[in-house]
Amino acid sequence: MEFDFSPVIDYLPVLLQGVGVTLLIGVAVAVMSVVGGQIVAVITLYTRKMVNWPLRFFIWLFMTTPLLLQLYFLYFGIGEWILIPAIVVGVLGLGFHYMAYNADIFIATIKSVSSGQYEASRSLGFGHLATLFYVVLPQAFNRALPQLSNNMIIMVKDISVLSAIGIGEMVYVSQYAISVTFRPFEFYITITVIYYLINLMMEAGQTWIERRAAYRS
Amino acid sequence: MDFNLMIEIAPLLVQAAWVTVDISARALFFGFFIASALVVLRTSRIRPVRWLARAYISVVRGTPYFVQLLLIFYGGPAIGLRLDPFTCGVVVGAFNIGAYMSEAIRGAIESVDSGQNEASRSLGFGRLTTLQYIILPQAAGLMIRSVGVLAIILVKNSSLVSIISVVELTYQAQRLIGSTYKPLEVFTLSALMYIVIIYAVMGIVEFLYRRATRYTFL
Repeated sequence: MEFDFSPVIDYLPVLLQGVGVTLLIGVAVAVMSVVGGQIVAVITLYTRKMVNWPLRFFIWLFMTTPLLLQLYFLYFGIGEWILIPAIVVGVLGLGFHYMAYNADIFIATIKSVSSGQYEASRSLGFGHLATLFYVVLPQAFNRALPQLSNNMIIMVKDISVLSAIGIGEMVYVSQYAISVTFRPFEFYITITVIYYLINLMMEAGQTWIERRAAYRS
Repeated sequence: MDFNLMIEIAPLLVQAAWVTVDISARALFFGFFIASALVVLRTSRIRPVRWLARAYISVVRGTPYFVQLLLIFYGGPAIGLRLDPFTCGVVVGAFNIGAYMSEAIRGAIESVDSGQNEASRSLGFGRLTTLQYIILPQAAGLMIRSVGVLAIILVKNSSLVSIISVVELTYQAQRLIGSTYKPLEVFTLSALMYIVIIYAVMGIVEFLYRRATRYTFL
């Protein structure tokens, strides 16, 4: 069969809308998972085991079950009682999933900051929280950056899974376009290329951020 | 929660869980050979071969598994590549995990101090003998750890194969919901099964890791 990319060009505005949705979700999830992961990590590390076991259970649960199942659970399972809009479920589900992964990274990097830093800061008169905010967490964050950006690159690709609960991102709109035009190969190739381009940009961003972090420390 | 229903549908889900294990195990098996081949190609003396292997790894890692599945399954027939859903899941899974695994294997091999290689070569070992007796035993621990993580990711990714209608755990769960209208119970049960599978994988990885690092002091 011959390739005919003219339907792709016809549906380009729709596809670009899907790209926009993907990018918006990506930004929202990135902010939520990094901030949330940081909070989860700090609470897990600096409170008693009795207090933080729900959080450790949360990390464990999200790391051992597949994303698709988590989304179905949140959308269809919880939907038995309250129907949450798909987009909210999508952002929250993906956000929680990567929050667990990021928290795991933050826990490791916070532990890797030498305890001498903490003690020196305390003996200089900083309080416990001030030491955390000004001394320990910034250093831990710098060390977490490579793995964090790695996670975010994986996350952008996982946004495609959200099409399964009916969110109009890239894969969803292309599936719609395919059902009208019957041109699966052309559309899937196009979105593969778009994903790859997004990825290349994110990889460039990753090297830039890492170089800056190395310069600052 | 309707526990009677959960007991009733458990056998069906266990059967589907077996398909999940089956598809992941096959993908892991073939993926390992693809990964090894990629590692060899990446260190080839011929530049275009090296370049091709790197491009392949970069593209596979740069695009979603979801899209790769859809592309091969629905787009494949357009170029004469007609696969049944299960085979398609295994093939795409193997090629996908192979790219990630080749990086893991390369990382483990490169983590061995280059002095080991040089010392072994100067003692008269050949390239392959050095790899077999000196480099790989030392790299094995790290390799098993990182391949283990990838195996867990592979099991979790196998839930995506449900979109090309392979009757594995997630697809079976959806079918059961279609007939029982009890999403919470069914999804809870299937989540438990994933946890059991992944626990087993973690246990195997831990066992292999212990065995591989029996004689190494790190």
